[in-house]
Amino acid sequence: MFEWLFKYPPTVFLHGQLLLRSAWPRWLLALGVIVIGLLLAWVLRGRRASDTQLTGRLRLPLIWLLQWTIAVLIMVLLWRPAIAINELVPQANIIAVLVDDSRSMGIAEHGVTRMQQATQALQGSWLGSLSRNFQTRLYRFDSNLLRLEGPAATLTATGPATHINAVLAEFASDTASVPVGAIVLLSDGGDNSGRIDRGTIEVLRQRHIPVHTVGFGATLVPQDVEIEGVALAVRALAHSRVTAVVEVSQSGFAGRHTSVTVRDGAKLLATRELTLGADGATVSTDLTFDLPDAGPRVLRFVVAALPGEANARNNELSRLVNVEAGPRRILYVEGEPRWEYKFIRRAEEDDKVVQLVSMLRTSENKIYRQGVRDGLELAEGFPTKPEDLFGYDGIIMGSVDAGYFNAVQQALMREFVDRRGGGLLFLGGRQSLSDGVWGGSQLNELLPVTLPMVGSMFRREPATVSLTAVGADSAVTRLVDDRAVNITLWNKLPYLADFQDPGTAKSGAQELAQMHVAGRTLPLLVTENYGRGRTAVLATGGTWRWQMSLPLGDATHSVFWHQLVHWLVSDTRGQLSAQVSASTVQDQGHLQLLADVRDRNYLPATDAVVNAHLIGPDRLQADVPLRLVPGQPGRYQTDWTAPAVGMYVADITAAEGSLGAGRDTVAFQREDGVAENFHTGQNVQLLKSLAADTGGRYWSADDLAGLARAIPFSNAGVSVQRFQDLWNMPAVFLLLILLPLGEWLLRRRWGVV
Amino acid sequence: MRIQGPWRHIVLVATLVCGWLWVDHAHSQQDVDTPDNSPEKAEFYWSRLHYTSANDYGGGGRAFGFGYSFSGWSRDYPKADRQFLEALKRLTRIQMRSYEQVVDLDSDKIYDYPWVYAVQVANWTFTEDEARRLREYLLKGGFLMVDDFHGTEDWDRFMAGMRQVFPDRPVEDLPDGDEIFHVLFDLSNRFQIPGEQYVNTGRTYEKDGYVPKWRAIRDDKGRIVVAICHNMHLGDAWEWADIAEYPENFSSMAFRIGINYIIYGMTH
Repeated sequence: MFEWLFKYPPTVFLHGQLLLRSAWPRWLLALGVIVIGLLLAWVLRGRRASDTQLTGRLRLPLIWLLQWTIAVLIMVLLWRPAIAINELVPQANIIAVLVDDSRSMGIAEHGVTRMQQATQALQGSWLGSLSRNFQTRLYRFDSNLLRLEGPAATLTATGPATHINAVLAEFASDTASVPVGAIVLLSDGGDNSGRIDRGTIEVLRQRHIPVHTVGFGATLVPQDVEIEGVALAVRALAHSRVTAVVEVSQSGFAGRHTSVTVRDGAKLLATRELTLGADGATVSTDLTFDLPDAGPRVLRFVVAALPGEANARNNELSRLVNVEAGPRRILYVEGEPRWEYKFIRRAEEDDKVVQLVSMLRTSENKIYRQGVRDGLELAEGFPTKPEDLFGYDGIIMGSVDAGYFNAVQQALMREFVDRRGGGLLFLGGRQSLSDGVWGGSQLNELLPVTLPMVGSMFRREPATVSLTAVGADSAVTRLVDDRAVNITLWNKLPYLADFQDPGTAKSGAQELAQMHVAGRTLPLLVTENYGRGRTAVLATGGTWRWQMSLPLGDATHSVFWHQLVHWLVSDTRGQLSAQVSASTVQDQGHLQLLADVRDRNYLPATDAVVNAHLIGPDRLQADVPLRLVPGQPGRYQTDWTAPAVGMYVADITAAEGSLGAGRDTVAFQREDGVAENFHTGQNVQLLKSLAADTGGRYWSADDLAGLARAIPFSNAGVSVQRFQDLWNMPAVFLLLILLPLGEWLLRRRWGVV
Repeated sequence: MRIQGPWRHIVLVATLVCGWLWVDHAHSQQDVDTPDNSPEKAEFYWSRLHYTSANDYGGGGRAFGFGYSFSGWSRDYPKADRQFLEALKRLTRIQMRSYEQVVDLDSDKIYDYPWVYAVQVANWTFTEDEARRLREYLLKGGFLMVDDFHGTEDWDRFMAGMRQVFPDRPVEDLPDGDEIFHVLFDLSNRFQIPGEQYVNTGRTYEKDGYVPKWRAIRDDKGRIVVAICHNMHLGDAWEWADIAEYPENFSSMAFRIGINYIIYGMTH
């Protein structure tokens, strides 16, 4: 219809340039338009006096508008309107037809696979029409591109992955010296990375190659449940309790019940019932579980398949977690003997990955040390040198007033959090927080609460506890797996032996738990990230009552403390902190190895020698140097490709001058063909944006009639500019008939005629 | 009125018993300021275990209006407790209440006092429920210090009660190097702490308890949960610390032992 009215396909109007081909000056056209407008207005105004039928409020302007439009249209036609458009020179260009041959193209809908639809489309007239004017080349692709010399029947839809981006980049590279007029991409858009790089788009745009995309498959696969994603920490301490958030989408099973499980090998770690949401909607559930022993762990998250599911392979997703052995060392400073000290120590005695080193002021001049490495550790009291304090991963500050620490020590603690990236936890107590005048210390800024301005906030009165909404979702306060049960459990915990008003949580801080005392509600546990580290306030010294009041064998108290101290130190890195760009790399194995290297004072090390020793499947061993990233002090990086499917461990070491500057181990895995099972609905958005970004157009598989007509209008390859007259468009003639007819009908309606 | 026959002997015995009760009661209350029901709150409460004695009159508690004097658990109470608290306050940073707290095994209230002191434990007896509660108290993190029982017979009777609590846990002699003797004061060189009888007799022992025994029962993690001071009487040493006739070195050692046991109980 469009082409019948306007003579040319939409592509011409989208990419062409409108112009007037007459030699007459354009200002004359503008002047004529104005003069005619005024003339018509003057004539009609004169007539209004004699013609009472035109006296209506809008009648005269409407008649003027119609007559003026006709006049303008005729004047414009006199100036010879045309459109300038580049057209491919016949027989001088290549049209590349790329057909997605990946596994997802084998998905059947209504008994016909996407590949069968694509093959049928290739037999349509559009390809024959193109072949008459251009050299057409047929390619198949999955993660690689292959030119097909034979018929399309060789397409099998068995490719383990789809990498449209890589394929387009490869095609552009291979045909750099060949005139390519256009690319026709037949696919379901199921690119495993889910995006096309801007770099690839730019290469195509520079060569003006439009990509016309032809989409196959329904956007929503009927009768399917899929794990959309799993959010889980990449690193965690062994035997820590962690929470994974699993997102599940579905179609055709709205409201049905299923279950989500997580396993470490054959060992079931946790399971959770799940009610599926509406079609296309994503629901999330969390699974809380204890991590096993140290080492790289591949955890498998599985949604139980429902009867009749089209694709059960997208019900399972694996995540690799670097489970670290520790030990992480925490320095606990306590200003007076008190029960909280004893019971924290007892709780942490069972902790296999956290070592609690404590210094307790038993009398005015004596410090009792526990958990020290040797007789020298802390022998002089709280450290005064960075290398001594930075050897710890976290600090717990008990009932100690700020004045106990000199200015150097306070500054050191601040740097411990900010620069070293350690965790600092303040406990409530009669010499803590505002009662210990911490508000006037150098550490006031890094506290997660704004302390009250006055002291005497500590009370030896009972306080009950509950979780906040944030705390209900936090792994720190998750005492049992089930969220609802956990909330109830907190509400039923024995009262605290004492409490301290810590003030109010600062913006950006998270209030996880609160206390209720005499009608007041106060923050109990507040956490915050500060600099590279984190701080927290637990505004009581009385959680020990949980241990003494709950039944013998109840682990609530120790679980709470395990989780709190694990949170405190689990993200505290050493002098060398290694990471990979992705802990699971799909199909191609490309990744970046990164290392953040610090010297003994945790300042960025810029002259370190950093090397990665990689161990992989099939006894693979490789040594790769990491280079300093310009403009990023202490940041070292290298690109690497995992050559085969399997688990890899990178042992990264750094030496700064003659000194070792740290070591870290990070694991990652390569898995091929897994991503292809996910997001199997047609990715219309990707196909449309690819077409739009390159000057092409998205076509649905059942409407390819205009494709052959649209392709020649392109300035890619070998093309010439042509001028297409517009005066003879049927739409113009139609207007010239309809406008006077409209005026006549209006006048007739008003009784003028 | 003349009392004749066997009634004369009965009245004589009753008079003597009442007289002894009065003297004992007055004796135990000497130089002690009995606090009112002070709302004083503290981190540490000196807790004295009130248990049922084999020789309790009416099962313990107040007998004949003379306080707790007839029950073994209240020996030296409360003067010893308060004198000890004075020393504890002076020598440590523990924030404590200035007077003692009597705790029972017949309620869960004992769980609010994780350190408890018991004397004359040769006389203690437990119901099944009390034994269970004491066992759970100790395994959850409570600490029990026992004192003032002497010789073989007392030990056997103490252990009869202890076996109700811990049927199988071994009792061990503490070596000088044990942490409990070094947690605040270094107490490698300890000696027998006698009761008040030392003033009159010069004897440091009672019954056949010639050698002081520093013993303990540990939990599964090796932490001392019951510290046993057998063949000594620390309570008397605290109580008589302000009496010139009682040697200072005994009281001094007793204070240090008690303080170490408290610090240990608050750190392990």
